[in-house]
Amino acid sequence: MSTLLTYISIQDGKVKRSSLETLARCNELAEQSGRKSAALVISDQAGKSAELLAGCGADVIYTMEHPIFKNHLNTPLLRALSAAMDVVKPDLLAFASTEGSKDLLGALAANRGAAALADVSEFELTDDGVSAKRPVMASKIIASVQAKGWPVLVSVRSGSYDTATGTTDPGIEEIPFAFEEADLRITLKEILSATGDKIDLSEAETVIAAGRGVKDEEGRKLIEELADVLHAGVGASRALTEAGAYDASLQIGQTGKVISPQLYIGVGISGAIQHVAGMTNSKVIVAINKDPDAPIFEIADYGLVGDLYKILPPFIEELKKIKG
Amino acid sequence: MKFYVCIKQVPDVNAPLQIKDGELIQDSDRNIMNAYDASALEEAIVMKEAHGGEIEAVLIGPEKARETIRKALAMGADSGTLIQTDENTDFDSLGYASLLAAFFRDKEYDYILCGKQSQDTDAGLTGSMLAELLGLPYVTNAVGITVQNEKLMVKRQGDTGQEIIETSSPALITCSNDMNDPRIPSLKGIMQSKRKPVDTIPASELSAAEMSEPKTRVHGFSEKPAREPGKKFEGEPAEIAAQVAQLLDSAENVI
Ligand SMILES: Cc1cc2nc3c(=O)[nH]c(=O)nc-3n(C[C@H](O)[C@H](O)[C@H](O)COP(=O)(O)OP(=O)(O)OC[C@H]3O[C@@H](n4cnc5c(N)ncnc54)[C@H](O)[C@@H]3O)c2cc1C
Ligand SMILES: Nc1ncnc2c1ncn2[C@@H]1O[C@H](COP(=O)(O)O)[C@@H](O)[C@H]1O
Repeated sequence: MSTLLTYISIQDGKVKRSSLETLARCNELAEQSGRKSAALVISDQAGKSAELLAGCGADVIYTMEHPIFKNHLNTPLLRALSAAMDVVKPDLLAFASTEGSKDLLGALAANRGAAALADVSEFELTDDGVSAKRPVMASKIIASVQAKGWPVLVSVRSGSYDTATGTTDPGIEEIPFAFEEADLRITLKEILSATGDKIDLSEAETVIAAGRGVKDEEGRKLIEELADVLHAGVGASRALTEAGAYDASLQIGQTGKVISPQLYIGVGISGAIQHVAGMTNSKVIVAINKDPDAPIFEIADYGLVGDLYKILPPFIEELKKIKG
Repeated sequence: MKFYVCIKQVPDVNAPLQIKDGELIQDSDRNIMNAYDASALEEAIVMKEAHGGEIEAVLIGPEKARETIRKALAMGADSGTLIQTDENTDFDSLGYASLLAAFFRDKEYDYILCGKQSQDTDAGLTGSMLAELLGLPYVTNAVGITVQNEKLMVKRQGDTGQEIIETSSPALITCSNDMNDPRIPSLKGIMQSKRKPVDTIPASELSAAEMSEPKTRVHGFSEKPAREPGKKFEGEPAEIAAQVAQLLDSAENVI
């Protein structure tokens, strides 16, 4: 029986939600097409990580464990993925679209002679491959795309599917992996970790996004307060990550992250298409902007026209009352 | 150091467009250098200015894409190559990567720089495909590069933080536009660009050995489903703030 294989990303000891969304879709397609659904965990503690996947609905979990996987490095990961494909011989290898998987997808496709569809928002199996939808032109347009011939590699935008649930306890199979440090062709010198204990934007239920209208320390404090009341993740437009006011990993949009929260509140953001590309999947969009013609109001469910410095304090107070 | 920068001409995503019978129609023929490639080129120019070297821009595209090579030369590339295709050929990322690989096969270089993705398709595949086809180590999504003893220290934006990665030549790097602000060509740059050499190679000359049937195909375009129109609140800040906060709770249940 052929297999649909989902690569599971683990971050800070937790399975990424977007990986579980991708796995859920593969579970569903496996069931429909009479295939097996398998999860693949590649990590320095793969055995332990696999336990996090109990009840994920997959038929089997493959693990590959090696100390080299402690940090993201493309050379060993590519080698591991290629070895896993030799063992599992999947029809499909699916990734959640993350900076980690974006680093691997093209090279793996070239290495395996496989078709690759990056950053899809929907995918379907056909008789001889995969058909999918992917946003293009800064997400203004949806392209229908097709990949022919097995295996196919896809990466899936976060928020495209609900997360996986199941009742069965999948069996765990370890795939052996050997790697010599000497084979590393690039050297990881240092990791500058910015997020620390902050909320992961791509998984947050609520996101507050700050734009150029947030001009100063006072504005950033208001953003922080609003985020605290709502237990929200804080993101930013490029105008502010470029200016250094917020860390680059917090950028939302075409260059930055794609988010899919229940609630997005854009504060002092104009709504350029490249920003909107990263947040139109939000369930409810709130925008605060003093320019009544700002493009963000075209997509906002709730548009507050006015000065953010005057709107945020009473908004925060009211939310505190509701929450309190 | 010898740098190659792979640049692509893309339609301007800000220009109005329509869909007719599943085809994408640009109202204007506005084409630009892919923003991520402009950042890659800018970074190469900065490195050359500080450490010396040579920069060649390579572009696969039809005759009209020559203007994008001219722009690269005006910014500061030393020479360019147009790998010329017919007006309407469109490859997938593997197609472009295979053609580029055929071009680079007999070339000598220190670093190949690409954009991290095409601004129009957001595929983000060509760079690492090309690296794999050429057997080169690579780093994607660079947001900063410094040179140390002919080696590059590349700062890459990862999922949660930034990774500093050291690469020695030859290697391939894909660049984010978060790296720099590409310069606008000066008048002098534009004048000088007219004397810089541009080589033209028909794609068919390179493709025979390398290209296979495309594995992926676009077979139609559609509008993104529109969001329900929302409501705008204007007036006294405290009033509209309270009103919306209440609605997020009672009507939307999202707080
Ligand atoms: C290839 C490419 C990729 C890109 N990728 C991204 C990306 O990933 N993410 C991204 O965000 N951008 C991206 N951009 C940039 C994007 O085009 C915009 O330049 C950027 O999003 C603008 O940020 P902004 O809305 O904060 O700033 P602006 O466009 O300057 O808007 C500021 C807004 O704040 C409002 N304002 C000012 N003061 C106040 C106040 N006191 N109260 C209320 N409102 C106020 C103004 O009315 C204005 O609408 C990309 C661009 C390119 C070319
Ligand atoms: N036609 C082309 N000519 C030159 N380089 C290209 C071409 N197409 C893609 N590239 C390179 O690959 C990157 C984009 O890859 P992708 O997103 O897969 O299309 C660009 O930023 C360029 O560096």
